[in-house]
This record gives sequence, structure tokens and C-alpha cells, in this order.
Amino acid sequence: MPEIKVTPLGAGQDVGRSCILVSIGGKNIMLDCGMHMGYNDDRRFPDFSYITQNGRLTEFLDCVIISHFHLDHCGALPFMSEMVGYDGPIYMTHPTKAICPILLEDFRKITVDKKGETNFFTSQMIKDCMKKVVPLNLHQTVQVDDELEIKAYYAGHVLGAAMVHIKVGLESVVYTGDYNMTPDRHLGAAWIDKCRPDVLISESTYATTIRDSKRCRERDFLKKVHESIERGGKVLIPVFALGRAQELCILLETFWERMNLKAPIYFSTGLTEKANHYYKLFITWTNQKIRKTFVQRNMFEFKHIKPFDRSYADNPGPMVVFATPGMLHAGQSLQIFKKWAGHEKNMVIMPGYCVQGTIGHKILNGQRKLEMEGRATVRILFQLDVKLQVEYMSFSAHADAKGIMQLIRMAEPRNMLLVHGEAVKMEFLKGKIEQEFNCHMPANGETVTVTTNPSVPVDISLNLLKREMALGGTLPDPKKPRTMHGTLIMKENSLKLVSSEQALKELGLNEHQLRFTCRVPLQDPHSDPDTLHGIYLHLKSVLKGYTIQHLPDGTVMVESIVIKVSSSAEDPNTKVLLLSWSYQVKYFHLLKKG
Amino acid sequence: AMEETDFQDVLDDWFIESLNAYKDLHVYQLEHPTQVLEWTSGKTVCVGGHGASKNEILELLLPLKLFADENKGLCAERDFKVVHGGFTEGPVRCLRHVPGSRCVVTNDGLSSDLQVWSVGGDDSDVIRLTGRVEGRKRRTTKSVSGGGSRIAARLSSQVLHGAQSGDVQLTQLTSGQILYTLETTSDDPLSSLQFVSDAVFLAGASNGNVYVADTRTSAAPQLHPAPASPGESALWWTDASPRAAVLRLSSSGQAVVSDLRSPGGAVSRARLDVQSGRGDPEVGVSWAPALDGCIAVSGFGGAVQIYDTSLWATEPRDAEPLFEHRGHAVSSRSGVFVAAHVWHPERPRTLLSAASDGSVHVWDWVDQSAAGC
Repeated sequence: MPEIKVTPLGAGQDVGRSCILVSIGGKNIMLDCGMHMGYNDDRRFPDFSYITQNGRLTEFLDCVIISHFHLDHCGALPFMSEMVGYDGPIYMTHPTKAICPILLEDFRKITVDKKGETNFFTSQMIKDCMKKVVPLNLHQTVQVDDELEIKAYYAGHVLGAAMVHIKVGLESVVYTGDYNMTPDRHLGAAWIDKCRPDVLISESTYATTIRDSKRCRERDFLKKVHESIERGGKVLIPVFALGRAQELCILLETFWERMNLKAPIYFSTGLTEKANHYYKLFITWTNQKIRKTFVQRNMFEFKHIKPFDRSYADNPGPMVVFATPGMLHAGQSLQIFKKWAGHEKNMVIMPGYCVQGTIGHKILNGQRKLEMEGRATVRILFQLDVKLQVEYMSFSAHADAKGIMQLIRMAEPRNMLLVHGEAVKMEFLKGKIEQEFNCHMPANGETVTVTTNPSVPVDISLNLLKREMALGGTLPDPKKPRTMHGTLIMKENSLKLVSSEQALKELGLNEHQLRFTCRVPLQDPHSDPDTLHGIYLHLKSVLKGYTIQHLPDGTVMVESIVIKVSSSAEDPNTKVLLLSWSYQVKYFHLLKKG
Repeated sequence: AMEETDFQDVLDDWFIESLNAYKDLHVYQLEHPTQVLEWTSGKTVCVGGHGASKNEILELLLPLKLFADENKGLCAERDFKVVHGGFTEGPVRCLRHVPGSRCVVTNDGLSSDLQVWSVGGDDSDVIRLTGRVEGRKRRTTKSVSGGGSRIAARLSSQVLHGAQSGDVQLTQLTSGQILYTLETTSDDPLSSLQFVSDAVFLAGASNGNVYVADTRTSAAPQLHPAPASPGESALWWTDASPRAAVLRLSSSGQAVVSDLRSPGGAVSRARLDVQSGRGDPEVGVSWAPALDGCIAVSGFGGAVQIYDTSLWATEPRDAEPLFEHRGHAVSSRSGVFVAAHVWHPERPRTLLSAASDGSVHVWDWVDQSAAGC
């Protein structure tokens, strides 16, 4: 039976490292190559030993596909391609290709410079890895080779995030990556056509979550900012330039306008260059509706938001500052943080995940005393008391229980596969999905084999079709399947059903007919022709309704059975009846009757 | 379209107002709307679908952020988690948690029988049907509209249930034994049933009568007759507070507070503005568990109203709500009504509300009045 195998790689059940291996139609595909951010050792990488115990992965993989730029989906990519070894194509959308290396480099710097790790990929490795990337456009079918084709669909979630459709012959798999089903201000909802894949792969955590609305998250952000400003405090919002910053700026601008607020809002200069780059990427990637939203807002020409100068950090009174980098690990945001951390009235809002080793990560874990390096001619360490208010907010758009069912019903898969869950504890969920679709839940490292039942298309020759139709009845009639005779020919890459004669002709063979004969001895004093005639008359009387002929060439035919009479010269009374019939069993009863 | 922009503007306005009107606000969308909201612990709540055929019962864990008091800022978790689920044939019209257990009891509104469920532990996500309880069937000449049973539960797996005053009984779930039956000749359809102490319970009838009885005796119940109501016969809903105050609300907006211990008397009254757009409202009234004198009212439309009954007098006057949660109405493009609400057992101003469009809100309102709760 044809089958598709899916294996989520890695040890540990927690979500945090997406890397899924799919075997379909003889092809091996790696979906995402993420890092587990909670571990410091090899457990943070997917377990590639499943593919091969030693050596490079190139010959074992036909391609690698990355769904979006979050580190838990691409963080291990340079490690996989440059340190384990893979030289084949790596597919991702254009925005992902642009943003990935920036995030990877940031991540590398933090891990190596801040945490002093040695066994980690280098900047050069990131560059070499990105050279292997083949960019994808939405809804465009890409031939990886002459049998494997892939297509990207819009996933929402973050800029450039894609769901991917993989097809080999008539078998297909869809991998969702991270996606969301409710559109918000800047990202549309994921969309896929009724492609009916054999397997749809998604995250089980979606199915057990019911998400708080985006508006409520935004409300919380505005409330916190407003409360700080009202009491004269300063608000620092460290952002990674590409993505969240624009959204939050627009939100604050609208709010400031509506509430007629006067406190200044600034964005650091590092933000502008990257933001314009992002803006251009966004415009070409998104659809009409979203493009309009952005076009209406000229990227950084806000009424209330102005470029920041570092001297402003010392200005008295309330203010809001957007500064890079996003995890407070270096640069301007860290400088501002050091100045403002000592006052209770101030606030820092972290709008996303912070990697271990960064100041961001430490304060989000409740640390209130930090060891900092001072800038002076001599390197000094000092302790910073964190007195300002720390707020952790999550704005990422993810699907939830309702959303996953919407997506499944859009695509109509034959089988559903949920990763990163514990099947034993998810009986209800499995049962719920199984009301409509088959559902599997593999553990990490466990392979799920899904048997497929692909239709095999066969062309039927016109002659054969006409012949069948001539036999009567409407064609096709799904309620009355018919048996028909023909020959199946496999020519080039197609299958054809033709009549036997045509098949023989194509093969250059002569048609042979099988005939059986049997000899029946008979005692009869008459002459041969008279005996034959007697038989003829006898048969005519007992076999009514059948075609019986006495032919001039001295044979009697009953349908297609031929009867002859012969005798030897020595013994003219001993006749031999020679019966001959072709290989058509249905006439056999006639012989017996006669 | 113009309408869409207007809708978004109204929604935006409401969210801006909410910055001052609420401390916490969470907005969720269930796959299927629920008519029940029942706490199974301080942090988990059960909901159930009410479609014609197969429905889900879900136990949801409230977001961690709601409970993180000191370190609230460090907690980004705002989502509900579906921790347990099960399937039921038929709608869930009433759902009650059996205190001190992992059991819930449901009624489908079509008959007076109950379904008993076991909500799984850590090792399984399944809510499993473990038994049934037959409702008391009494021949009655009156036809009953909306047939379903009301349910109240208490410790030791004992469940009080009945669709009418005449068929209320107390069943021991583990043995199926009937421990008590309410002895009364009346057959009033019930709109509520609740324990007011270990042994004393209150049965609120839709015609406004309230029966108070003690499960330790077989004496006839004490009757608190329906308040005098002008005009046509109204429907009534009842709730009793921990401080022995009984609230009754009619479908025409008449509200009466009386003392559990003195039948026939009324402590205070008010007229609530309950313009009902619906012919047969599914009304919920409840006393706040941690806010003296405050009540919540829902079901007449798309809002939940909070009133301070301590401002009410003996002579009925129009009462203004202390607070109105309009989130469901504002977020819906077409008419929506709130199907259920419930107060948090400890947090004074936190409520959950569920509406007919599947939305569930968790909100912690701010008392902006000078006096009051």
C-alpha cells in the first residue's frame, strides 16, 4: 500500500522546536528546523540522528522547507546545513529569506558573545546557509524535481509566514507551520483551497487553546502605557524592528489622537532604516486589503511619534520610546533601560519572547538585581536595581480550537496529524477531530505511517468505450459497476485501457485462438454425411433456441462449436465425432446437453 | 462598506472606554455557544453546547494572568485552555458541579432525567458519562413548558433536582437512592433550585412562588408567595444570597428583595429597565458572592447589568445599574443576548458572561460611583 510517513524529530514533548520529517512517494522532506529555546545543550537542536547516524544529510533529504522566521522554526537551520551538513535546496518565502538571517545573527551574537558558547554556528555559516535558499511566492507551484512539487499558502501569523502544500504524484501533505484564522489590523487570516491532502500536519496546542482577542491584548498595552504616562513615568518598549514596532506605533498614534494626549512618543533611529526595508517587503507580499492599511499610513510619518535622540532620555516628564534591539541585549534600548530602571514610576513593556542570556529574559523571570557592564576606560561591573514596572505582553497571532477546525474544513484532509501533544492525554481532542477526519498524534521521534489510497487515472480507448456502450445501458452508472474485458498498457507515464486486438497490434503480436477438440466414438451404419445430418436433426430438436447450422462444407455448427464426422476406410461403421470449440466456457453446458 | 467602518468605530470606542471601566478584560470566541457557566474549581469553568444533536461539554482553565496577583505583569498568558472535554447527545441546558468531587450533573431540558459525568484528572482529557438519574415523574394535568430540570448539588455527592415543585427530590449519586422528596401538592415549573445551607434549600418557581424546605424533615415547605404583579402573568427568576436575602425578578423588570426567614414580606423593591427584545428570555439573576448587596442580571438583551440593592427602598422606584457590561452587544453585528453569567467566587468584581454568538467574556469592572459596592 502506498504510504506517507511523518516523524516529529527531537526529544521532549514540549512545544519549542519544530522540525518534522515527511516521507512521501519516495521523497524525504524536512519541515522547519527550529531551536528549543529552553535548553542550553544539544537538546535545543532537533535529533537528526533519526535521518542518519553520522555524516551529511544531503543524500537523505530532497529539500528543506521553512515556514517563517521565528527561531523556534528556523533557529537550528545553520547548525543543520553547515555543521551537520546539507547542501540541497532550502525553501522559504521572500520575507522569511530577508528576515531570517538578521534574527539568526542576533541570536548567534547573544549566545556566543553574552553566554560565551563555543559550539555554535558562526556568522559565515549563516551566510553560507542562506546561499542555499530558494525563495517562494504565494500560490506558485515549484518543481523541486520532476516528481516533487511544493506550493506556499498565506498563513497570517507574521510577515512571510506560509503554509506549504507538498505533492508527489497523487499523494500530498499540507504543513501549516504557525497560522491564525482571525484577521487583525495588519495580517490577514490564513487561507487554503479545498486541496484534500492525504495528511494535514498542525500543532496540537492550537486545538486545546481558546485565544483572547487581539483587541484585548492591545487594550492592555494601551492601558499600561496610559497609566504610566498619567503618573509621569517613562515607558520603554524594546522592539525588534521588523514587525511589532509598526503595529504598536499605529496603535499608540491612534490612541494619542483620540485621547488628545501630549506626552511625546519617540522611535529610535535604528528603527527607521530597518522599518523601511520591512515596509517594502510587506507591501509586495501582502494582499490588497492589507496593502491599503499600510499605504494610508506612511511608515514613519506620524503626527505624534518623532525620531529619538539619546539626549532625550534625560528629559523630565513622561514619554514613550520604541528602541531596538528587542531583548535589551545591547544597543540603544539597553542604554535607555539603564537610565530608567531605577524609578518605580517608569515601565518597560516587552512585546515578545526573549532569548536566554539577555537582560530581557532576566527581568521577565522576575530578576530585580542585574549585573551590568559599565562603559568606561576600565571595564567595570555594577549592580542595577530594577525598580521600574516590567510588563510582558504577547501579541503573536495564533489559531485556536475554533480556528483549527475552520482550517481543517477548508482543506478537507483525509488524515489529520497533530504534533507536539501527548496522545494519551488527548483522547477527547482526538475523538472530536475523528468525527470528521482521521487523526494521529505522534510523539517526538515516533513515526506515524498513513496509508493513502490514491486514485490511479487510466485512459480508455474510444473503441473500447463504444463497444461497451453498444452492449446497452447508460455509462457510467456508479450503482451498476460492470465487468469489462480489455488490456492495460503502461506507455511512457500513462496508463491506457484498450481492446485486446489493439493491444496485440501495438505489441506486434498475432492473435491466437485457442480451440479445444474432443473425439466421440459412435457406431452408425450410415454414411458420413448422413450421420452428420442425423446429428444435425437431433441437435435441432433438443437444443431449441440456439443457432444450429448444417454447412455445405460438411460441418454442423452449434453456435460456434464445430462438429464433423469422419470414419476410417477399414471400419466405416465406427464413426468419430470431432467436436471443436473455442475458449469460451459458457457454451460448455450445450455440449453436455447435446 | 460604510457599515463595517461604523461597526469598527463603535467597537473601538467601547474598547477605549473600557480602559477606565474595567481592570481586566478578556474576550473569547467558543466554537459553539453555551447556555451554562459553572465553576468546577476556583480556576476552571464548564461550558456546554445546546445544539439539537451531538454537543460538547468542556472544562476550561482560566488564563494564568487573571490569577497572577503580584507578578501579573510578568505573565503574558491570556488564553483559555481546554483541559477536559466530552460529548453528549442532546443539548446542555443545566450543568452543576458536585462540590468536593470531579463530578458534574447535566440536564438536557427535554426531560427531567439527569446525566452524571466524571471530569478526568491529569492523565486524561475526557469527560465521561458515568451514570444517569431518573427524574421523578408525576402525572400532572398541567402541561409543562420548557420541561427541563433545575439542579443543585451539595457535598457527599447528593443532588437536588426537579422540573416542577411537585417533583423535587434529593438523590444520592453513588447509590441512586432517593434521600428526600419535596412534599407539596403544587406543580409549579421551576426556574431555580439552590441550597442556602447544608440542609435548607430554595425552589424558585417561574410563577414567582418560592418554596423553602429542609431536607432533614418531611415537613411541607414554607411558601413565599409570588409578589403582586400588575398586568399579565409574568415569568420570575430567583436567587438567594449567602446572607439569606432572596431576590426575585420578573420578566417585566419588577425586582423584589425579601428575607428568607420571613415569607410574604419584602425588604426592598425596584423597577429595572429590562427592555426585552425577546419573547422568551433565558434570564439569569445572581447575588455577588463577595460584594454585599450587589446583583447581576442578564438575558434580556446583550448586556449584563450590576445593581446595588442597598440603594433600593420599600417603594419601588426605577433603578439605575451600577455598571453595565455591553461588550457582547457591541462586538456583535446582529442581535445577541447574554445566555449566562457567573460571578467569580472570590474576586469581588470579576464576572464571566456567555452570549448567544459563542462569545465568552471575563471582566473585572471598576466601580466608578461615589457610593455603592
